[in-house]
Amino acid sequence: MKSILPIFRCLNSLERNVEKCKIFTSSDLCKVVIQFFCRHGIRRTHNVCFQESQPLQVIFEKNMCSNMLIIQPRVLAEAVVLFTSSQEEVTLAVTPLSVCLKSSSDEPMDLTSSVYSEMFVGPDEFDFFQIGADTEITFCFKELKGMLTFSEATHAPIAIHFDFPGKPMALSIDDMLLEANFILATLADEPSRASSPPSLCLSQKQKRSDLMCSTNNNSKTGKNATSKAPGCILRKAAPKRLYPNETQTDIPALENCGSPIMKRVNEDISEVPESSVSNTEEGPGSSYLRQFSCVFFGAVSSDQRQHFNYPFDSLATASDSEEDMNNGSSSTF
Amino acid sequence: MKFRAKIMDAACLNHFTWVSAMIAKLAKTCTLRISPQKLNFILSDKVANGGVSMWCELEQENFFSEFQVEGVSAENKAISLELMLENLSQALKTAWNARALKIKLTNKHSPCLTVSIELLSVSSSSRIVTYDIPVKVIPRKLWKDLQEPTVPVSDVSIYLPVLKTMKSIVEKMKNISNHLIIEANLSGELNLKIETELATHFKDLGNPPSASEDASQDRDPEQMAEVHVDIQKLLQFLAGQQVNPTKAVCNIVSNKTVHFDLLHEDVSLQYFIPAFS
Repeated sequence: MKSILPIFRCLNSLERNVEKCKIFTSSDLCKVVIQFFCRHGIRRTHNVCFQESQPLQVIFEKNMCSNMLIIQPRVLAEAVVLFTSSQEEVTLAVTPLSVCLKSSSDEPMDLTSSVYSEMFVGPDEFDFFQIGADTEITFCFKELKGMLTFSEATHAPIAIHFDFPGKPMALSIDDMLLEANFILATLADEPSRASSPPSLCLSQKQKRSDLMCSTNNNSKTGKNATSKAPGCILRKAAPKRLYPNETQTDIPALENCGSPIMKRVNEDISEVPESSVSNTEEGPGSSYLRQFSCVFFGAVSSDQRQHFNYPFDSLATASDSEEDMNNGSSSTF
Repeated sequence: MKFRAKIMDAACLNHFTWVSAMIAKLAKTCTLRISPQKLNFILSDKVANGGVSMWCELEQENFFSEFQVEGVSAENKAISLELMLENLSQALKTAWNARALKIKLTNKHSPCLTVSIELLSVSSSSRIVTYDIPVKVIPRKLWKDLQEPTVPVSDVSIYLPVLKTMKSIVEKMKNISNHLIIEANLSGELNLKIETELATHFKDLGNPPSASEDASQDRDPEQMAEVHVDIQKLLQFLAGQQVNPTKAVCNIVSNKTVHFDLLHEDVSLQYFIPAFS
């Protein structure tokens, strides 16, 4: 984004001078060309080089979440101001009667710890309030702040979809012009939670094709800015799991953090968003989770083969696997 | 040990926020002493503070509509807490539009000052914000360090010029030298000098009537009493004074200490800077 931003920087001068803007890619030269056709016959061309990569795709059905809140960004912004910027995580605690946003740390505080803050927001401040059960989810504060800044610019209400701790949550903005979904991981509570993800994931896989279709529809309605930015992913610097016959899929360790299923596409991925969620201490629970994730991984990959024939399922391809060459599924969108 | 207090008035709340912001500029950590009549912010002259000490006092009834404090035992009616002022100041700043503010001492996982603010939000439903500021309770055996400092017998006492002016001058001087000389006499003249012969002279400041009659009578009104101080410490003090105080007095003990005694409406602040050694 850093190369694109300066091109569109002076909004005023753009509005005054530019009559038409043309954006196209030239794949043989690996360039995105942005051309401004300005007044007086002036034509300004910017060539931005790109590198092919395939982003992580998230499988997450936000409409299946039992809890949903819709709130104006301004209200959330007021809450966010209360927390000091050194807070890494923030907890959202909901009951059918109230919503509380609080800083999340239970350790005994010494003088230099940051202040514990909490704010209660009444249900009447929300545009939509649906709470299935009392829940507390903890997620990355920095991601929330970033997303808030974005939504304040669009003036659209934010919808928060979430379930139980450990299951990912979605912050979405649905405007006339764009739909944005930020999927964040939430901190899992106890090891016993580990049992729920597999069924969740498998059923989500079936829904995945629906999700992809809905994305397609959006792109047809003109300006599409569907961004599925995987927000907060806890990645352990673990060696990649290599499964020689199958796709190289790297599921991040489910270590004290429930994460959405990520299908890692290629080793050449430029960056994976690193989260600032700190690893809490490794207890006996985490090794349990780790063992668990290996078993689960096996179950998923056997199903995956069926999806290889779908053109869109170019998600999990290993660059050196013969199988994928034969499939002909390539990483084009 | 118990402490609960409530502020209901917006003006009082603003004033208290202002006081805590001012103290936060003067020290990072300090001791808050809560007694039935008064609140004190104390910085004692330890080496860690660079020898600087501070004593700020305010009458609780000028701020709080409800105030209740109980010490450890019946005769010790005070509580002394150590806290980071920035935390308190930040918490109070959110309260600028609050309907009510409650402070109490709690012990959740560790002792905290819980500040509970009732905000009136835009949609006119009230919102409750709570902060838990970590504090350290200071045991009674260390209370001897927290006594009100005795005002030293000074050689010269003089009223200060407008503090903002003083601050901008000292700020320019700090680029040239590490320490400066404050000198004053009983004819209302105050000079700020640094060694490369750069000096600023203030005249006609006036001298307060001195406490010890005989000492001042012997003194030649033109004779300057001087003290060398670290510029940074002086600057830190001046930077905390955004508003010009109702009364500002500077007491100089030659080559020992300079003592600033300020009164901001109903809040008194005393600040001691030792001589440069």
